[in-house]
Amino acid sequence: MKKRIIFYNRTGFTTLLNREIHRFMKVPVQTVLAPLISNMLYLAIFGGMLQTRQVGIDGVNYLHFLVPGLASMGAIFAAFQNPAFSIISQKFQNTIQDLNSYPISNAEKILAFVFGGVFRGVLVGLLTYAATIFFVGYEIEYPVFFVLSLTATSFVFASLGLICGLIFDNFEKMNFVLAIVITPLAYLGGVFFEISKLPGLLAAIKYINPIYPLVNVARFAFIGVYEGNIQVQIIITVVLILGSFLSASYIFKKGIGIKTV
Amino acid sequence: MLEISNLSKTYQRGNKEALKNISLKIEEGEFTALLGQNGAGKSTLINILAGNVKKTQGIVKIGQYSIDKNELETKKIIGIVPQDTGYDFVFTVDEALKNQSGYFGIKNNDDYIDELLEALYLKDKRNARLRDLSGGMRRRFLIAKALVHQPKILILDEPTAGVDIEMRHTLYEFLIKLHQSGTTIILTTHYLEEAEILCNRIVIIDDGKIVADEPKEQLMDSFSDEVRIELHFDHELNLADLEFLKGYDPQIEEKTSLKLKVQKKDLSKVFRMITDKKLEFTNIFVEKPKLEEIYLKLISH
Ligand SMILES: Nc1ncnc2c1ncn2[C@@H]1O[C@H](COP(=O)(O)OP(=O)(O)O)[C@@H](O)[C@H]1O
Ligand SMILES: [Mg+2]
Repeated sequence: MKKRIIFYNRTGFTTLLNREIHRFMKVPVQTVLAPLISNMLYLAIFGGMLQTRQVGIDGVNYLHFLVPGLASMGAIFAAFQNPAFSIISQKFQNTIQDLNSYPISNAEKILAFVFGGVFRGVLVGLLTYAATIFFVGYEIEYPVFFVLSLTATSFVFASLGLICGLIFDNFEKMNFVLAIVITPLAYLGGVFFEISKLPGLLAAIKYINPIYPLVNVARFAFIGVYEGNIQVQIIITVVLILGSFLSASYIFKKGIGIKTV
Repeated sequence: MLEISNLSKTYQRGNKEALKNISLKIEEGEFTALLGQNGAGKSTLINILAGNVKKTQGIVKIGQYSIDKNELETKKIIGIVPQDTGYDFVFTVDEALKNQSGYFGIKNNDDYIDELLEALYLKDKRNARLRDLSGGMRRRFLIAKALVHQPKILILDEPTAGVDIEMRHTLYEFLIKLHQSGTTIILTTHYLEEAEILCNRIVIIDDGKIVADEPKEQLMDSFSDEVRIELHFDHELNLADLEFLKGYDPQIEEKTSLKLKVQKKDLSKVFRMITDKKLEFTNIFVEKPKLEEIYLKLISH
């Protein structure tokens, strides 16, 4: 008998996924509106200030350059926070062990948490885009590809958020990772400017910064212009998706954060 | 139905050996009490069955499935009411039970949820948020939650701790009915009379080891060599006159009644001694040992 892993219990999977989506949709002001507003502020401040300087890609309207970066950054934070917050609150509520009692495979559980994050990430990303239509117009070079890139970015960071939720036992640690690791990586990942314009060592960070290829692929989809080697960046994106999912699977299989050893 | 062989657990934290080579086989239809002091290892055992604690060694089979090879299948067979657990406060009773059904792959479970709520006196709380329920209601909710998928085995970890007497009796009634309808039940409790009323099998764990595992009647019989007898007299008694009963722990209560502890084989001898002294008793009561005494004997170190 071959063990069914992905479709072991589809109703269980959808119930779990619905809960993850329901959870943030109930408080849309914090989970969707807040990141949208901060993205608008970024757009107003950086867009207004930097438009005349050459920080984006040469020959591209800076606002056009900025929108896919901000959409990606919004997706990254939203996707990361959703599963991380969900898992840590369940630890606080002392309901986390309920996860052990369901006949739902690990792959299904992981995907439910990750897809919840993806949904929120893509939603924030697309709303960021929608809110900027007024400033930069609605045109996207490759719309489907743009949505796919937001999905990919959200998937990677939702997986990371899930891992952090499992490893950490309080919100402070989660916020620490957001502030000390993810925010700087986003700033140095080409959200606001072309990385090659950075001096020496700072520019080299792009080689170890997972956000760099993700933002670049999104920008390529959005305006059709890119920095570096886009084929390699697409491959890296796929590798990041697989890598983050496998890491989450490993943590889950080990029972870190949900089982006592 | 449930087969545990050579199960051991040493917690990494504190290197604490909580279960020491335990073997236990529970048959379908049994109602088993799992007794033991605080820290004996009851919750550890239950948490291993639930998948919350990883075992160190041994084999656990639930139904025909091993928790190592077919863990997910075992989930469908058991329902667990944990000792300390929380509540997803934002949900209503109804939402939480519908979600719970969904996690078990059951799409439309309204009829059974109705039945459960009715039986657990929660029907009028259907749309109440979990955060608004009283402690007793939450316990009953947890039982409903553990039962939405109609498990063959229900395991309750101290479901009545801190619950008032009336609530306890409601629960007893419910559990008895559930047992009669074919569910195998395992219950840990601090109230020994609870085990005595409900269960037909007693397992006692002490310091991570099983020190007794027998059908209730058998356990009680095997400890009933010694009986307590209470003799009533129509005149006042005086301990000094009862010197001859010294070996039987004589105690006088309310001046006219005498309590003795006597080995069964000595019963006629004791009665003869009493009548020889021309003491006439007017009434006699014989008391079997309570589970509580047996329990205390078994766990005394
Ligand atoms: N998560 C844990 N980490 C380390 N030790 C534990 C843990 N849980 C329980 N123990 C220890 O294991 C022993 C058995 O505990 P437990 O199974 O909860 O007993 P009971 O339920 O019979 O009161 C106790 O000594 C307890 O301190
Ligand atoms: Mg316990």
